[in-house]
Amino acid sequence: MEQEIAIKVSDLGKKYIIGKQKDASLRSALSNAFKSAAAKGDDFWAIQNIDFEIKRGDIVGIIGKNGAGKSTLLKVLSQITKPSTGRIEINGRVASLLEVGTGFHPELTGRENIYLNGTILGMTRKEVKAKFDDIVEFSGVAKFIDTPVKHYSSGMYVRLAFSVAAHLEPEILIIDEVLAVGDAEFQKKCLGKMSDVAAEGRTVLFVSHNIAAIKELCTKGIVLNKGGIVFNGNQMDAVEAYHSLGRSVHETDLIKANENAEILNFDVSPLAGSFITISSGFTFEIEFNHLREKKNLAVTFELLNKDQVVVFHHGEWFCSENDSKKGVYSVKGKIPGNIVNSGHYTFKVIISTNMHEILLEVDPITRFEIANESQAGHHSTLPGITRPVIEYDFNYLGDKANS
Amino acid sequence: MPKTKIIDAKHRQLFPSFGELKRYKDLFLTLAWRDFRVRYAQTTIGFLWAFIQPIVTLVILSLVFGRIAKVETDIPHTLFTTCGLITWTYFAYVMTNSGKSIIESQNMIKKIYFPRLIVPLSKAVVGLIDVGVTVLILIVLMIYEGIAPAGTVWLAPIFLFIGMIAALGVGIWLSALTIRFRDFQHIIPFMVQLGMFITPVAYPAEKAAEQMPEWAMSIYYLNPMAGVVQGFRWSIFGGEAPGNLMYISFGMIAILFVTSLMYFKRVEDEIADFV
Repeated sequence: MEQEIAIKVSDLGKKYIIGKQKDASLRSALSNAFKSAAAKGDDFWAIQNIDFEIKRGDIVGIIGKNGAGKSTLLKVLSQITKPSTGRIEINGRVASLLEVGTGFHPELTGRENIYLNGTILGMTRKEVKAKFDDIVEFSGVAKFIDTPVKHYSSGMYVRLAFSVAAHLEPEILIIDEVLAVGDAEFQKKCLGKMSDVAAEGRTVLFVSHNIAAIKELCTKGIVLNKGGIVFNGNQMDAVEAYHSLGRSVHETDLIKANENAEILNFDVSPLAGSFITISSGFTFEIEFNHLREKKNLAVTFELLNKDQVVVFHHGEWFCSENDSKKGVYSVKGKIPGNIVNSGHYTFKVIISTNMHEILLEVDPITRFEIANESQAGHHSTLPGITRPVIEYDFNYLGDKANS
Repeated sequence: MPKTKIIDAKHRQLFPSFGELKRYKDLFLTLAWRDFRVRYAQTTIGFLWAFIQPIVTLVILSLVFGRIAKVETDIPHTLFTTCGLITWTYFAYVMTNSGKSIIESQNMIKKIYFPRLIVPLSKAVVGLIDVGVTVLILIVLMIYEGIAPAGTVWLAPIFLFIGMIAALGVGIWLSALTIRFRDFQHIIPFMVQLGMFITPVAYPAEKAAEQMPEWAMSIYYLNPMAGVVQGFRWSIFGGEAPGNLMYISFGMIAILFVTSLMYFKRVEDEIADFV
């Protein structure tokens, strides 16, 4: 039987007029694109010529790099902003969750905010009332339900906010990856709720960087690049297509130079497979031009996680007193798999001499992600900086009472 | 078969969809109620502010217009001014708050869809607190002065309603204009300040008519609130019915309100891109 179509998009495009956007965050979000578009003229197309169909019950992951147009597509689909060209047909009630707790007012109590947020998300007061007890129970903040939310911890706040969102019953759910940010428990809840929604035969659109989640949860994948669709199909193939967009993750903008040295390239690549996961391990490679005759050249690498915690700080003198010549050098380091946990990381690099004279320091030189892999049934990310494979000795030593 | 929603880049509506506004009735009520709840939050004297503001304004206006300028009115000047303040304060409050409402709720607007018009519209409700308080003051003063309301008092809510439409008309215009031109944020307090002098709040419009030629009075009544304040006062105290000039104000209100809806609709779709 032919599946019903939930969303049909044809020739969709969204144009921004550069220089008129007053909002600083929007401007910064588009800043990379601005640079290339500015030369062409005043218009910048965040997305263009987008065509796709989503069948009812599909769970579609939308992936793409920063600036690929994911957020714009999401905003247009959730009707926050109107498209400049094209047409969207949506069959069914839509709920879009671009953040949790939209409209929460700090002076209002948890109870009042549930009503406020629920109606903002499109529920009627009657619907909120009917689900009120479930929402409170799911949130686990029942004790503080009549306390103004300004006194909540951030964890309580997010739990309550997510709980309201989780009790929406849309036919089509549009979720931004920002929702998947938070502690491991929260992510698990969020992703779990998504699978529930999908299991009920509803349609989900999920925008994410979290490749593991896309592979795990989605049935379809759409890859965006530079405002257009480059792939639309099976989610596994979509992930491959996403990685083939550019295997390395260097950010050309961040490559820096001064009178001492000039960094030509910095690459982080998987040791095995086509993208970096916990078990793949990775290599990091720097290429730089040494511009001065400084002796005892050293390069130090520092890996930081997204909380700016140093995972490792490691350096080597690569040149002895005699051969610190001018010219191009390359240094490549290898980190085996199953050491560093999943997450977003940055590399900092310092080129110096053994006299601790810093020639060039770039922080961060690159950002990259280590994709999560499920372990012992845990699909969500696990806490911790490292994620070693641990060998255990597990023995049954007998019933104590009988020995 | 679920309802199909179509978003088409080429499709443009002239007016906001009233059916959709009706569907979001609960959001309207919740937002209005939120404003009500947080209006005096974290103030030490709380609701007392609702009384202090009109009383202080009343005392000053009575001093300046009643005692110093010796403006003559048919009814005691304090009563006259209190009555004028009811509609004027409401107008000023609703205009100010709906005018800045879109900018203030930008975080919400950037993250979720709902008919944006709900936001400025919802501001009309919380201003009714001030109406209630000033009406209370008026009743106390009327009992004190021993003045009974006229038989036309049933018209008072109608004039108040016209005042609400006037405030929303101006407020919706301002809220939409502020999105692109933040300058309007600074114009609003200015309008409130000057508006009170060109509105017959503390002096009768007839006083102004004596000093000015007829054509100037027509311009005077282009101020939407001139007709509302005069009409509201007449409905409560009776006396000579307001003249035809009042209809200039009402015509102005109709034009302002209808055009505000049209302009708002025109910019509504792009609000999220600009705030």
